[in-house]
Amino acid sequence: MAKKMKIKAKEKKGIVKVKAMFTSLMADKEEAVKKGIKASYIKYIVAKVNDVVVYEVTMSGFMSENPLIKFKFHGKKGDKIIFTTIDNNGKEQTGKKKIK
Amino acid sequence: MDRRKFLGVGLAAFAAIVVPGTDLKAMNFRETKPKAWEIEKTVDGIKALYGNAGLKKSDKLTFKAPKLAENGGSIPITIKSSLDLESIALFQDANPRCLSCVFSVPKDAIIEYDFRIKMRQTAVVTIVGKERGTGTLYTASKEIDVSIGGCGG
Repeated sequence: MAKKMKIKAKEKKGIVKVKAMFTSLMADKEEAVKKGIKASYIKYIVAKVNDVVVYEVTMSGFMSENPLIKFKFHGKKGDKIIFTTIDNNGKEQTGKKKIK
Repeated sequence: MDRRKFLGVGLAAFAAIVVPGTDLKAMNFRETKPKAWEIEKTVDGIKALYGNAGLKKSDKLTFKAPKLAENGGSIPITIKSSLDLESIALFQDANPRCLSCVFSVPKDAIIEYDFRIKMRQTAVVTIVGKERGTGTLYTASKEIDVSIGGCGG
């Protein structure tokens, strides 16, 4: 279901601000029954820079559709941030972005 | 103390250290605490995820949320904290299962998380943070009015 993720990462004074958006219906069991579709939601998101975890969250289907997350961490320009998401069916997706 | 007893005490102490140690390394909360994801009530959910430890209210753990949410399908929430927390969880009573999300906070992270949740109806949202090392639980809660339900209705 999910196709793309949009990532923005900007560095300012040693702090990197990240905005990321994932495409997912985020439909849990009840909602899926109502709409007549299969349950599908992202259950796990992790972001890494140089193999160090900077963001990690486990979610249920009660996050809103196409989840948008924002966070900050200590980092520097030029590094690559790698996002990995896993949905309830075990499907994995990754996305990369250079920190500006 | 004779040697046999000493060894026993040592083993018990070792076990006591190791058990919370494995808890700290929990990466995927859905695998390590599958029960917590099925519980309906916030109070029971907190117990299932963090155990029976007492909750403390703290000014250092806060979250921003609108008082009145027009669209229950996407309620923006910002969690901020100056404490050294190892995990933060968000619970609400509006949905069939109370747990919305659990953050595992890496070391030296800036705790300022922004995300959106769904809520079916007006309910109290509670966030619980667990301090690194001491394991003290901090909490903050707020009631959010929802005018239109978010879960497909």
